[in-house]
This record gives sequence, structure tokens and C-alpha cells, in this order.
Amino acid sequence: MAAYLSHMIDQEHLVMSAERTMFWENELTLIVADVHVGKTGHFRKAGIGVPQNMYKDDLHRLLAQILFFKAERLVIVGDLTHSLVNREMDLFRKWRKDFSSLDVHLVKGNHDILDDKWYSEADIAVSKEKLLLKNFLFVHDILKKEVKADKRQYIFSGHLHPGISLRGRGRQSLRFPCFYFAKKYCVLPAFSRFTGTYKVEPQEGEKAFAVIEKDVVPLY
Amino acid sequence: MLKDSTGYKIVLEWLGNKDFHPFAFQQEAWQHILNQESGLVNAPTGCGKTFSVFIGAIIHFINAHPKDYQTKKKNGLQLLWITPLRALAKDIGRAMEEVLGELGMAWKVGIRNGDTSVTERTKQKSQMPEVLIITPESLHLLLAQKGYADTFRSLKMIAVDEWHELIGSKRGVQVELAVSRIVNSQWSMVNKKPSVWGISATIGNLDEAKEVLLSPLSSRRGAGGEAGVIVKANMNKRIEVASIFPDEIEKYPWAGHLGIKLAHKLIPIIEKSRTTLIFINTRGMSETWYQTLLDIQPGLAGSIALHHGSIDRELRTWVEENLHAGNLKAVVCTASLDLGVDFRPVETVVQVGSPKGVARFLQRAGRSGHSPDATSKIYFLPTHSLELAEAAALKKAIAQNIIESRPSMLLCYDVLIQYLNTLAISDGFIPEQLFKEIKNTYCYKDLLQTEWEQVLHFITEGGNALQQYDEYKKTEIEDGVYKIKSRKLAMRHRMHIGTIVSESMMKVKFISGGYIGVIEEWFISRLQPGDVFTLAGRNLEFAMIKEMTAFVRKSNKKKSIVPSWQGGRMPLSANLGKILRQTLDEAAALKSLSSPGVETATELEVLKPLFDLQQKLSHVPKANELLIEHIETKDGFHLFVYPFEGRLVHEAMAAILAYRISRITPITFSFAMNDYGFELLSDQPIPVDDSNVYELFSPDNLLTDIQRSVNATEMARRKFRDVAVVGGLIFQGMPGEKKKARHLQASASLLFNVFSEYEPGNMLLRQSYQEVMDQQMEELRLRDMLHRIQQSKIIITFPQQLTPFCFPVKVDSMREDLSSERLEDRVRKMQLQLEK
Repeated sequence: MAAYLSHMIDQEHLVMSAERTMFWENELTLIVADVHVGKTGHFRKAGIGVPQNMYKDDLHRLLAQILFFKAERLVIVGDLTHSLVNREMDLFRKWRKDFSSLDVHLVKGNHDILDDKWYSEADIAVSKEKLLLKNFLFVHDILKKEVKADKRQYIFSGHLHPGISLRGRGRQSLRFPCFYFAKKYCVLPAFSRFTGTYKVEPQEGEKAFAVIEKDVVPLY
Repeated sequence: MLKDSTGYKIVLEWLGNKDFHPFAFQQEAWQHILNQESGLVNAPTGCGKTFSVFIGAIIHFINAHPKDYQTKKKNGLQLLWITPLRALAKDIGRAMEEVLGELGMAWKVGIRNGDTSVTERTKQKSQMPEVLIITPESLHLLLAQKGYADTFRSLKMIAVDEWHELIGSKRGVQVELAVSRIVNSQWSMVNKKPSVWGISATIGNLDEAKEVLLSPLSSRRGAGGEAGVIVKANMNKRIEVASIFPDEIEKYPWAGHLGIKLAHKLIPIIEKSRTTLIFINTRGMSETWYQTLLDIQPGLAGSIALHHGSIDRELRTWVEENLHAGNLKAVVCTASLDLGVDFRPVETVVQVGSPKGVARFLQRAGRSGHSPDATSKIYFLPTHSLELAEAAALKKAIAQNIIESRPSMLLCYDVLIQYLNTLAISDGFIPEQLFKEIKNTYCYKDLLQTEWEQVLHFITEGGNALQQYDEYKKTEIEDGVYKIKSRKLAMRHRMHIGTIVSESMMKVKFISGGYIGVIEEWFISRLQPGDVFTLAGRNLEFAMIKEMTAFVRKSNKKKSIVPSWQGGRMPLSANLGKILRQTLDEAAALKSLSSPGVETATELEVLKPLFDLQQKLSHVPKANELLIEHIETKDGFHLFVYPFEGRLVHEAMAAILAYRISRITPITFSFAMNDYGFELLSDQPIPVDDSNVYELFSPDNLLTDIQRSVNATEMARRKFRDVAVVGGLIFQGMPGEKKKARHLQASASLLFNVFSEYEPGNMLLRQSYQEVMDQQMEELRLRDMLHRIQQSKIIITFPQQLTPFCFPVKVDSMREDLSSERLEDRVRKMQLQLEK
């Protein structure tokens, strides 16, 4: 078991991290999905007192990953923010400023509902539906009709918050977030820790890598 | 004195005209009410308990207004009648109106619950009826209205019906809080306070029940003794218990059956009496029984009905109405018919399977034979042979009047948080004043200042935050008064108040339209589309889930999954367990006694062949013995232990024992348990013998061992759902707020993880663990059991085959694993068995 694990797609090395990020070595690009910035703030504004430290922790983790891989580009495959603008996003923008040399690309997800102005002020390049980088395509939701039709390139996506169940004897069953590799596409685990998981069931020939605490564990 | 009072004379005359005479306990209660005392009336259903309190209030009013009691209108609220069930309100209201009509009084009776229309509510707001019948939730909604104190200004009496049902639950805590607020608000306005009366069936801790209810009064010393009185009806209804015996005990299933094999024996019983109630322990089994009775006796179609908590309310009401009218021959039901007004036509009650407790058995028996001097007849139908011993134990308990206690819940932070927000919506609160008030309730008497501050911090600051990046908003402080000012937050909170009762239930509807009932979410979540299950006597094919509703279509498939509901998991009570152990004593004695004249329950005689076999293969434990059996089969090495302490205690004990053994040697077990005992199963011999057995059952280090062995985290995660809903962490959405509402949804399980990691000291989290200890593990009982075992003789046997005692354990149960292998190894093993 290891905190980092490499997987090869189309001759490209992709390193998965137990912090729920993926690093594309040749392009010095860090890929994440479903960051949900401002989610704790959104809950708190509505009188639901979830601990905000979780959000701070998410930003720290992202920072640590960028530094660890020495990434030059960050691609977010959707749901960078959670809902309407709130003060937590100020912290994100501040965080962003400290990394002004980093290229940040967002492929919009269903939660990304902020004004264009917000993204431009935050120096984030936005693609509405998809982003093509070399031989890979980046989208938010793989199940969207428009995306389904387009499978010439290998696709990286988010949205699903994939999780995989491991079942032991008796009634034991544990669910872990996972990287899910189908033949033509990959679904990344949600980066934010304030997210649940949706159960995926890999088929023959597919692969999944579970994030079990501090390790990435290959399954299948 | 009562007897000289105008009111009493008028009431007596009215009763006399109907040829009725008040019971002694009613007169006693009336006298106390006239003295403006508070207390508890202890009377079974169907003995005029309602009148013992209601008429008291009437007499009191007539005495105060002897000249114009009939014409005096708009007196403001006089009597607040709290009832646990919405369904009861209508019937009680009707009975009260009848009395008022016959006395020619102008009092109005109002009902307030989830079904009350908006127009009715508005009307009540401008002019409260003299009597308001209300559920605990609706009462809290009243407290959420601005100026609520005015509503209660004129109140003379608070009556809490079926207090024995409420006391052990969070709704009971809601009652405590509401009583405390009403008493104190009236006192601060007019220097008076209402009297408080509880009405309760017999429970083991009546004195405590009274103390819990009356506790809030002690803060405001006025007229009348605050200790309160207990008025007992002392109507010892005769109860006759008859067991239904299988023809040949050896051939009757030892375990794991529904008793269906004996169903044919119910037909003559049903036919013989006017109406029969057949109580089944679980909703799932009730579905099966209903079908079976119809299959055996198709002639019953149309005159037999099914009633349980998951069936559509309308259908249930229909069943209840027809029960009243005497149109039904039999109703197969669950605890759903435990409560409520009497169904006079019911002559006979059948209990299928263990009732798990004496109080519940008595309550069900009391559903038959209604006139106070009639005998209640209840049949006991065992679902497996050994349950007959339980019938013998029940008879013994009834004869000795040993009835379970219902302890009240303590320090429920979730209910407190909800309550504070409720007050913050209406008129706000001042913490220093309210703290004193709350400390006077029984539930929060031990609340520490620091805990109180934590609760306040939680509702105003929302726990830990990142100062300048935070916009938490709920309760705000304005000139020292805590208030919720946002209308939206207030509205959301109101919607939350009713949610204490609801489990995570899901509606079930036909795709084509039409509501069938509700079902537990976890059951539905395990179904695949196309699976067929049974609900409300129908086979339904599961299609999909959409917006908290499970959509189904009719199915003609014969085979279906019968859902198992929460109710099935109620453990054997400590009381019944104890008497059962004593009963086995007699059974053990029975074998050596062939001489006549020794009194033994017939159940035990019937069971004799089984006990003989048990004795031959192993041993029949006496009350001061603990039996342990080592049995080797092709499945592996089994260890059976029989403490007779109920499923929950056994579950915890199995885990602890497994953990303690695994410290001797690396070993992996699977568990099984039922109400009588538990089993550890391993692929290697289990090292338990005379040399270490007392140590393994030692009460020392119990807490540490529990924490290390039982998966308390998983149990707490399940409890957290309820706690989080009541505490307002889970937003269930509301009509007209579609898309953005989804942005506020997080599952209880996710929140549990989040708090565990980022705010482990959170009080709602702590409460979940505490509830696991108290309710899930029954820690106190577990400890008592270990102390008892230390004083007992432990008998270890090595039977060559499975015994009558171990069989039900083996068959009935679910399995849990405990392992001393390292986590990584387990994950690796689990990988091999990846869920498909």
C-alpha cells in the first residue's frame, strides 16, 4: 500500500494520490474534481453549524499537493464552488493569489453557478463544457448526452463522487472514495472531504483504485 | 371538601341520571384537583381515567362560577390535554364534548396537531377553546408563536395522557420542557401556576414518572404540595393467560419459525369470540400472518384486517372505525394498536411470539374484556418451543405483579437545542433565566454550566469557525435576548419541530398514483429495481426512488421479500429475563419430581421432553447458574452462552467476550445471538475453561473493553441520524425551495464523519455515543449481568451435538464479526470478496 500510485493511460503516466488528486506527469498538471469551495459556509449561513476547519483543511491539502508535485497547471473537472458567493470564497481567492504563477482551468460543473466576473477576477480559465489538452479530454459529467457521443479521446471527469464498497464476511461493508477507470474514461473521487460517495461497480476490464485513509489501493 | 361543592353535586346528579357512579379513584382525583394539587393517576385503559382528570377540571370550574358556569363563554384556555397520538385526539375530544353538552356548558374543545387546518389554527389564535387537545410536537409549535404566553395565561390544568408511553422517549422530554415553560411563563405574568396531572398505566417506576412530570413545578412554590400525589385505580383486572400448544413438542420447530404451523389453531378462537386482536411482533410477520389466516380460512375475507404503523393512515383509520363498530372478526396488528381508546367489541387477544416484556403483555391483554370487572383473556402462541417457558414466566410475573420500569431520558442535547431555537423564534429568551428553569426539569437537572454554554455557543456561533470568513447565522443576541430574526430560518425550524418521531421512513406509492404506506429507508435502499416485497398485504415490485418516495407497481409474483422493521429488534426485558431464569429452575426441578401436588405451570410440563433432552445432552441451568456449551460441528468450534438477558446485552457481551479471548490467542469469531443467549463461532478451538471463565466475564475494565471491541462507531453513526435531525443539522427541504435546497443536503453519515474528524467534542456526537451505551448496549444491564455471573456457578459442558437451547440461537440470528487480525490484513481479505 502506498500514498501514491501510478497508472498508465495512452502512454501517459498518471499518479493518483490518497489526497484524492491525480497528477499528469508529462504535463505537470494536477487534476481534481468536485472541490465544493464554500460548501461549509453555505451550510453555516443557513444555520447548520458544520465545522469550518474542514474547508481550511481542504485548501491546505490542495496546496500541499501542488507543492509536492511541483504542478504548473491545475485542472478542475467541475464543481469548484458549491453554491452562491459567500465569504469562504474570499479565502479561496486569497489562496489563489498566493499561487499566481499556477495556471488554473475549470470545466464548469452543475454547481459552478457564479458570474463570469468572479472567475476572471480569480484568474481562472473557464471552459463551459469541455477542455482538450493534448490527447485527453476533460469534462464534468461523463453521463451527459453531449459527452457520451464524444469518445475519440480518453476522458477525465468528476461529478459522480465515486465510491467502492468492500464487503467482508457477515454484514461488514465499508465504502471508500475511489478513482474509477472505465475503458474510455476515468471518474475522479471528489476532492472535498465534505462529500458523500456514490457506489460504482466496476465491470470486467475496468479498474478502480480505492482511497483507504492514507493509501491508494488497487482493486481489480 | 369535594362532596359539599356545587360542582360535585351537579356532576353527581348528571351521572346519576345516566345511572353511573363515580369510582373511588375518580373521586379521590377530583378532590386533589380541587385542592389544586398535582399528581399522577394510575389507571389502565378503559376504566374512566380520562374522566378522573377531565371531570375534576369541570368541577373546579363550576365551583368557581356556580351561577353562570353554563353560560360563561370565552373563558380562555382552561385545560391543556397532551396526548401522544393524533388518532386519540378525535375520540377523546368527542367524549369531552358529549359531557359538556349534557352538562349544558358552553366550553369549547379544540384539537391541535399536524392535521389541524390553517383556518382552525387562526380561529384558535384569536380565541382559544377552553380545552385544547394537543401532541407534544404541536405544543412546541405553539411555543414558537409570538406572544404564546398569553395563550396560557388563564390555564388551570395541564393533563398528560398515556404518560407511560411518552416518558421513555424524546417526546417525553419535549413534554417536560413545555410544562416547565408554561408553568414559569404563567407565574411571571400572574403569579399563578396550573396544576399538572399525568395519566399512566402501571409501570415499575411510577414514583419516578410522577417526579419527572412534576419536576418543573418545583421552581415556583405556590399553593399545594409540589411532591404531588399518586391516585391508583386499583382495579385489578383478572387476566387469564392460555398458551396454544403444539400437538407434539418434539416435532414443533425448535427455532426460527413464525409460529405459522399453529395458525390453524387460531381459527376456532377467532370464530368463538366477537372480535379478536392478534398481536404480531413485527410488521413483516404481521403481513405473513394476515396472508396465512386468509389462506387457511378463505371465509374470513372481508372480516379480517391488517393494521400496522407502515400502512396508510386512512386505511388504518378505516380499520379502527370498523373495530369500534364491531364489523371485524379479527385484526392482525402490531404495537400500532397498543395505544389508544378502547375497542369495545374486542373479546379476545392473541399474542404471537414473545411480547419481550411484562408491561407490554399486560397492556395487550387489557385490550380485551372492557367492563372493569370483566376478565381479560389472552392467548399466547409460541413461535418456537422454548418460548413456552417464556409464557410460564409471564404468568408468574403477572401473579407477582412484577412490571418493567420506563426510565426517562436524560440530558438530550438535541432536544434542548431544538427547544432553544423554538423559543428564539417566538419571544426570545434570556439565558440566565432560562438556565434556572431548565435545571428544574428532570431531564436537565444535571446539566452543567459549561454544557449550557456549549449549547448556547452552538446555536449562536455554530461551533468552530474561521472568524472573518464565517457567516454563520441562526440565533442572534440582541440586548441579552437570544432570538432568531431571519424569517426563512424560523420557517425552516418550525418544519423541523415535528421530526422527533419520524424514523428515516420513506413513502411508498404506485407509479400510477396512490399511496400505500411508509417503509424504513434502509430496507428500500437494499432493494434492486424489480425486487418484490410485501406491504399492506400486497405484493409490490420496486421500481425506483425519487424524492424520498419509493415508487412501486403491483406484482403477481408469489415470492416476495417481507420487510423487517425496527420493531423486531426489541430485546427481552431485564424483568422477564430474570423470571425466565427462575422458571428454568422449576423446569430443572420438574424432572426429578414425579410426585403429584407440586404446582408447576402446564407450559413446563409440555416442554418436559425438550428439557429432558437438554439435560441429557448438556444441562438445564438454574437461576444461579450460567450455562456455557462447547460444541464442535463441521462449521467449526462453537461456544454457546446463556445469560437470558436479551438480544442487545448479548450482542455487546459476545463482542466483549470475543475481544477478551482474542487477547489470549489470535483468533477470529463470528457471532450470533437471540434473547436467551449468544454464540461465538471460530475455525479453531475456543480457549474458555474453568481456569479463565470468571476472568472472561469480569466486570473490571468493562468500559475500555467495550470501546475496543464493539463497533460503537458504527452504532453511533446510526444513532446520529436521529440526533442530527432533532438538533437541526439535517435539512430535509421544504416545498417551494427546490434547487438551492439540494445544496443544503448532506447525509447523516457524512456529517458524522465530518464532526468525528473536525469537531470530535461536538455535543450531538457525544450524545449519539451516549445513546448507544444506554440504549443499544444497555450498559447498566450488562454490568449488572457481569456482577450476577460473578456470583453464579458457571457450568461448562461439551455436548456431542446441538442442544435444544443452542438451536434457536444458531438459527435466529444475525452475525457480526470481530477479529484480532490487523486492519490491513482484513482489507486484503475483503478485497478477495469484493462486493459484486
